[in-house]
Parts: sequence; structure tokens; C-alpha cells
Amino acid sequence: MTADGGHHVPRGHAIVTPGADFHDRTAVAVGDPVLQQALHNLDRRLRTAGEAADAHPDWKDRAAEIRRETLRDLDGWLDRLERALTARGVHVHRAASPAEARRVVLGIAREHGVKTVVKSKSMATEEIDLGNALEDAGIARVETDLGEYIVQLAGERPSHMITPAIHKTLPQIRDVLAREAHSDLAVDREALTAWARGRLRGEFLRADLGVTGVNFAAADTGTLVLVTNEGNGRFCTTVPRVHVAVMPIEKVIPRLADVGVLLPLLTSHATGQALSNYVTIISGPRREGETDGPEELHVVFLDNRRRTLLHTQYEEMLACIRCGACLNVCPVYRNVSGHAYDSVYSGPMGKVLTPLLSGGAEGADLPYGSSLCHACSDACPVKIPLGDMILALRADVPAAASAPRRRRRIFWSLWARAWSSPRGYRVSTRLGRASRGRVPGLRAWTATRELPRPARESFRDRWAREHG
Amino acid sequence: MIDDLVTGLRANACSVTGPITVDEARAAIVARAGGHELVACNADVPVPGIIEALGAAGVELLLPGDPAWSARLPGAAVGITGSLVASARPAAIALVAAQGSPRGTSLVPASHICVVRVADIRATLAAAMIEIAAGELPSALTWIGGPSRTGDLEMVTTLGVHGPRAVEVMLLE
Repeated sequence: MTADGGHHVPRGHAIVTPGADFHDRTAVAVGDPVLQQALHNLDRRLRTAGEAADAHPDWKDRAAEIRRETLRDLDGWLDRLERALTARGVHVHRAASPAEARRVVLGIAREHGVKTVVKSKSMATEEIDLGNALEDAGIARVETDLGEYIVQLAGERPSHMITPAIHKTLPQIRDVLAREAHSDLAVDREALTAWARGRLRGEFLRADLGVTGVNFAAADTGTLVLVTNEGNGRFCTTVPRVHVAVMPIEKVIPRLADVGVLLPLLTSHATGQALSNYVTIISGPRREGETDGPEELHVVFLDNRRRTLLHTQYEEMLACIRCGACLNVCPVYRNVSGHAYDSVYSGPMGKVLTPLLSGGAEGADLPYGSSLCHACSDACPVKIPLGDMILALRADVPAAASAPRRRRRIFWSLWARAWSSPRGYRVSTRLGRASRGRVPGLRAWTATRELPRPARESFRDRWAREHG
Repeated sequence: MIDDLVTGLRANACSVTGPITVDEARAAIVARAGGHELVACNADVPVPGIIEALGAAGVELLLPGDPAWSARLPGAAVGITGSLVASARPAAIALVAAQGSPRGTSLVPASHICVVRVADIRATLAAAMIEIAAGELPSALTWIGGPSRTGDLEMVTTLGVHGPRAVEVMLLE
């Protein structure tokens, strides 16, 4: 949503079929053979993440309790965090909407005459569509996470919150990078990584502003925690003069010591690593006598309707630590990937968060695209009942009826009427037996499923024959 | 605890030496850094006389007091640092930013050598974090597991994206 309440569709966002509903977009994704090939790589993540996650079964309870302790007094912890950050010389900004958050960051950039921004991967900056806002203001924006850089060069959006270019195969990635390099690059991971390293190194050294998200923010000490593997997050918080961290308000945690539990849980569920390669723990800007690090540090608290979820049945959604485990196990996500959701957040957590953060204006049909298998609820390291929420949203956020849903509604209303009377029931079951399972108009359904064959004789008929 | 740390760091693609004595560590660092054009060295390396030893070996040193530190650091082949604390499970070393110990030494050069005192090893990350949270917090503390890496290319781990391609941990008795 834009500031004036209008519908804001970021460029390069709806890359599958703009305007079509989730049902249509999934069909396009399933029919794309290259995408399907790329998605096989998810199996790799599923295996390693599953093994690592099993190493901490009892930690789920502790982590879930820490997150719920936070939500019981979110405003109190935020106030404490703001005081602690301010005491460390950090500038805190509160943004109610994405538009306000964009304004804050652009204001900081203008004040410092910023020409180049280096960004590390952050869902919050995707949520506020900061990249396009910076470019509209004439500021060069460079995504520095390798996957996100590939996606930026391709003019696309991330399709997975941990692995943004999961929808691309290695030859496709080579093509994207070779176009930028104006030279031939080998289809080789080491070679492509080395080329990107050299290119992005120059951007880091040139940049005046580093923008990151926040994984956790400790209220007791006023400390930001950032998790990365490549080192780009470290560059963004080491080289540029100014660092801006965009923090959705639920990222606050009561105590810095809590990250001893939350970090291993986050990274084992996200990538299968016991700990991510780099964890950067920031308590204020560069200090007197230090050689590097930002001279100025800003944190933007982003609300964007999150407070409206407190004290509702969806409050626990704010416990989410953005590990991506629910995407990796979801039978729908694994077949269609992130772009089909046509929203910043995809997978099961996206089905819940997208309609909630937009007040039902976006993604209202997403909760319907679910098998309700609850694999997401089981995978969640902080025990969010995602499956229950998806079901509840079907009642709370009515989606505009699509053609297939209209047909379904007509079918079920006829069924309800027929089976409300004994006569209607008898007639319909007799018709069913007579058809021997060959029901017209069901081909789409029976193409992938077995239609149960009705018995030759109904129980009523048999009872009447044997006892009547 | 030491075994857990060594096994874990090796699994993360670090090379690990030790536990060794201070004299052995000094000789090992000079052997690794010798032959490189420019070597950056932090003030928190717990090996007395390391600067002099590197200088005597003909290594050109970049020290944090250098007014051109930031401009010259990208030209350094090796960065040498100490560490505040290490966690055995999961295996990682923690570095702190301070005067004389810039953040970039362990990030910008292609190779990072980190000296860790055995007495600074803690059994778990949780135990280390409780200790860190209770103390005076530095402007930046970084847990490092090993060489920089990415899983963005078809979810296969590839080393050396933005940070060091090689990390060597020397354990000091």
C-alpha cells in the first residue's frame, strides 16, 4: 500500500502472471520445466536442515517461550530497546507504514549526500520496497548477498527468504552474470563466485551507506544481531560511513543472552548449519579511537500493521524468526516456488503474513492454496500453528471468488441441498452407482486422483433385501 | 572441549593448528605470512613480539595506526587477529572491535589467521553469550565459523564470497 492508501505494486514483482490469482500462477509455475528442475535443489536443504534441527528438540520449547514472553509485552520491550539503543548513541526512528520507513531512510541518505547504497539481504527492506525507492531518488542500490545480486541483475524478486535465487539453475545464473560482466563466464560455481566477489568488492569500498535488516535486537543491552554467511552483512556494517538497520518491531528479544538459544535454532532450521558463518553483534556506532565501522548508526522500527495482530488469534505469527523452514517442507511451495505467491513473503508464513500485513488487500487467496497438511506447523522452530492460522484466515479474509472456486461453491450448495433430505440422498447415491465412477466434469480432479468406486449395492438396499 | 572446537572448525573448512606454545605460534605465523606482500595485524594478537618477528622476516606490515589503513587494507593478503572467546559447540570464534583491532582485518584480506587462547574456550555458545552479555559490550562483536561461504548457487556450499577464502585458527596453550 502506498501512503495515499493506493495499491502499490513494486516493479519486477509479479513476474509470473500479473493480475492472475494464486491458482492460475501455481499452474504456470508447475508447467515451467526449468523452474521444476531448479526446485529439486530444495531437497538438499531439506535433508541437512532436518538433521540439524533434530539436534535441538527441547530448544524449540525454550525458543517458543522467549518469543511469547516478548509478545506479551511487545511495547514495553520496544521502549526498553529504544532507551538502550539511544544510550549507545544509536538514532531510533519509528515508522508506522512502509511509506514512512522509506521516507526515513531516504532522508538519512539525502542528509549525508549518499550516492551508493550497499544492502545486505533483508525481508524488511523488501517489505517496504526500499530498493526501488532508492533508485527513484537517484541513488545507486547494490544488493550484495550473492543470490539477491543475481535476482537484482535479472530484474526479479527473491523467491525464497534464505536462498533468493532458488528458482534459478546454474546455467541461468551464469547467463545473468555474464550479461553484466560483458564477457563469457564458465558454468562453474567457483568461477561465478570469484567474479561476483571482485565486482561487489568495488561496490563495498565505494559505498557511503550500508542498509541491513536485523535478526534479533536485545532490549536489555541495546544490541543488534545480524546473521550472514557470505560476509556481505559485515562489509555493510564495516566500510560505509553510515549504517541503517530496518527492523520489524517483532525482532526485539528481552535479553542478549537469549541469542545463545535462538541463534543455533534459527540457523539449523534455515540452512542446516549449527551456526551461520558470521554473527555480527552490534552495540552502537564506531567508538573513539577505532579504525573502522560506521560513524552513524540508525535503526528504523517498522510496524506496518503488526501491532494490530496483538491480542488476536494471529498474534503468534509475530514470533516468526524468518528461518524459511516452513517453505522448505511445504508441498505447495516445493512445487511452485516463491514467485507464484506474488508477495514479498511466500510459503506458509507468507500465506498468513501477506493478508494480515495488508489488511486483506493482498494475498487474500493465498490461504486457499494449501493442502492443510500442517507440515509447516511441525517444522516451525518457535511452534507457530501456521496450519491453524491458514484455515482461520479462510474465514476471516474472504477472497474474491475465482472461476474454479465459483464452480466448487455451486457443487457444494447442490450437494448440501440433495443430502439434506432422505429422498435426495437416495437419488444421488443411486445416480452415483449407476455412473460407475464416470462423472462428467471431474477430469481435472481425477487426472491425479483415484475416484472411489461406489459399491454395487448400497447398505440400505442390502438391508432391505436380507431383512426386509 | 578443545576436541569439539577443533573438529567443528575443521568441519567448517578452517585449518586448525595446536595447541602450541607462544614461541611455536610466533614461528608458525611468520612462516604463513612470509612471502606475502602486505600483512595486516591487529594489536590484540596474544603473541608477544609478533610485530617485530614479522618485520625481521621482511614482511611489510599494515598496522591499525596507519593513517591510510582503510585504503591499503584491500591490498593486504593476510589479516592476523586475536579473539575474545571461542565456543566449542557450535564451533566458532568471537572477535571484538576495539582501538587497535579494526573489524576489517578478519574480513577484507583473502586469508585470516586467528590466535585463540585455550583458556578462552567455552563449552557452548549459550555459555559464552551469557558471559558476553554480562560484560562491557564492544561496538561490534563477530562470531566467525570459518571461511566466507554461500549456498545461493543451487544450494551447494561455495567458499570465499566476500570475506576470507581461508581461515586458520591457532590454539595457544
